[in-house]
Amino acid sequence: MYKFNFIYELKSLVRNGWIQLLTLLLFALFFFAFYNGQEKVEKRKSDIQAAHTEVKESDRDMLKLLDSVERGMTVTASRWTIPSKPMAVGNYHPRVAAMDPGNLAFVATGQSDLFTHYVKPKTSGDDLALNFTEITNPVQQLFGSFDPAFVIIFLLPLIIIAFTYNVLSSEKESGTLRLLASQPISVAAWVLQKMAIRLFWVILMIVVILTMVFYIHIDGASFGSIIPVIGITIGYALFWFALAFVVNLWVGSSSKNAIALIGLWLLFALLVPSLLNQMGSTLYPMPSRTLMINQLRTAKAEATKKQDQILDNFLRDHPEYAINDPNQGRSFYHRYMASQQLVREELQPVVQRFEEQLQKQQQWISQLKWVSPAIIVQQELNTLAGTSTRDYESYRKQVIDFAETWRQHLMPFLYNNQPFASADYKNLPAFEYAPLNSNTTAKTILVLIVIAMGIVGLGFAKGIGFQSSKGILTH
Amino acid sequence: MITTDNLTKKYGETLVLDNLNLNIKAGHIYCLLGANGAGKTTTINLLLGFIKPTSGSAFINGLAVSENPKMTKKHLAYIPENLMLYPNLSAVENLHYFSGIGGNNLEKAQLEAYLEEAGLQASAYHQRISTFSKGMRQKVGIALALAKNAGVLLLDEPTSGLDPKASNEFGLLLQKLGNKGVAILMATHDLFRAKEIATHIGIMKNGQLKQEFVADKITLAELEHAYLQTMDYKELAV
Repeated sequence: MYKFNFIYELKSLVRNGWIQLLTLLLFALFFFAFYNGQEKVEKRKSDIQAAHTEVKESDRDMLKLLDSVERGMTVTASRWTIPSKPMAVGNYHPRVAAMDPGNLAFVATGQSDLFTHYVKPKTSGDDLALNFTEITNPVQQLFGSFDPAFVIIFLLPLIIIAFTYNVLSSEKESGTLRLLASQPISVAAWVLQKMAIRLFWVILMIVVILTMVFYIHIDGASFGSIIPVIGITIGYALFWFALAFVVNLWVGSSSKNAIALIGLWLLFALLVPSLLNQMGSTLYPMPSRTLMINQLRTAKAEATKKQDQILDNFLRDHPEYAINDPNQGRSFYHRYMASQQLVREELQPVVQRFEEQLQKQQQWISQLKWVSPAIIVQQELNTLAGTSTRDYESYRKQVIDFAETWRQHLMPFLYNNQPFASADYKNLPAFEYAPLNSNTTAKTILVLIVIAMGIVGLGFAKGIGFQSSKGILTH
Repeated sequence: MITTDNLTKKYGETLVLDNLNLNIKAGHIYCLLGANGAGKTTTINLLLGFIKPTSGSAFINGLAVSENPKMTKKHLAYIPENLMLYPNLSAVENLHYFSGIGGNNLEKAQLEAYLEEAGLQASAYHQRISTFSKGMRQKVGIALALAKNAGVLLLDEPTSGLDPKASNEFGLLLQKLGNKGVAILMATHDLFRAKEIATHIGIMKNGQLKQEFVADKITLAELEHAYLQTMDYKELAV
């Protein structure tokens, strides 16, 4: 039966223009989305590149100035910006801590349109908290930009619905169902085969489009890198085909099928994610950012008032910085850096609270993501693209660590009153982003397949008999 | 061979078929007459296995329909009142498809031969069904029955809406099938056509088989009189 269904269904679909329309639609949507995604990545790359160029130019100026200072020449720069002072290096010549986009970054915008892709942590900066406080519930990102993830999660199901909602009902409405049902076949198996033919075409198109995208967009990566995206997309398509199969068997007329499937789309793609988002925010509300800034300011003001005392305490804790030469004094930065340390320590509980709530929100979503395949797929595509909440969390931590490394590298110069020299330049720490590795894709694909198989199994278990009583085969 | 044994169907409390007993042998053409709602289509739906009987049994070639739904469908062909085929496919393609899904893969020459035997003009073989008249579609239905080599043919008012010529041609085709040994059950309102082609005639009313005749033993006028009497149109039955 399958051979005949396959040949004649394809013939019918070609002759009534469905295949051409579907192919055109998929190509247009995916390529527009890939173009958009790639534009964002290019912008991100060029921003990072510009930051690196700026640092390079700044370093060149710094080395020139250092050379002049070391040769005893008079320099015209402001006193506090002369790079022989370690804090001038720390504050005016910071390194770029960039989150370079991965090969698949164009697939999902994820959190990347909310956060900066690079920061320049300064020795006196507040980057431990403020730059990243917008990291919130990941599902919020479901309402994102027109990227491939958007097409896959929101538009592909609609296309599948339009392509499958009336597989059985159209046979009834056109009158061919009675003739079909009089053949020695199982109508449920026949519907499944019709679905499989449509699924075959959608999969073929997805593979062709993503392969083309791979050769157009991805440089220097193996073809294997695109396979997880293909797998996830096919798994998700399979879920929607399975739903359409059951709706075809159980619901009835074309209009009712369409309404039922659109209702399921609304439920899985919009309502469940936004409901989880809301519940996550309600159950684990993020601490107020305004409160955090106020606390930071208060802590700073308090610290400024007692900077001398703080410095004494700091030096007691760090005897390696004590100097015996009475001719060398302590400047503003000696006090400031010590007080910054204190501010950081005092703010730690606030930041901790924020991080804990964030983790709870993420755990909440992680536990309940299985309720909607749209969330599973969104999270997996973000992970593959390296734009997930986890990626930005990891980047944030790496930046905080690097900021500390940057400070700790320059602190001995400051407290030992040792000038920064040209020879020290090559030892300045550099940031290198370490992307997270994901190994959840195979599991996600498997889960999607199992869900789809379960739905199909349910369809067979109840079968078309469910409709017989309502007269699908009779008048 | 078509047999029903006290076949009964109820929808809730409504009795639509009441203890129907039929025995249609190979080569017989049995026409079921009756007004709308008499139970003719319900009988055919039960024989096709589209609905389950409330009690009693239906048999196709000795096989119980409700116990062997797929097997019995292998032995039967069915032509509904308005046979609908795939409009984007040609007559040959439709025949190839419907035979194929039933497990009968036929060559192009065989398909054309069946269409020829069913009386379809050669120029229509490769035309899309969307251009076909009802009579032409019914001929494709006959070709399908021929291709299936079905021992049983069920027809639900197949001549309604056909012009007299097409109706006559269709009747001749059925007789040809009957002569080949096919057991045919046809539900119809057309007394004239029933008298012309049937070997046996039954009249149904309110789900009951009220009268049965051997077609050769009754004239058209007698048949009409019996029908009107059965339907309680006594003022017309003069």
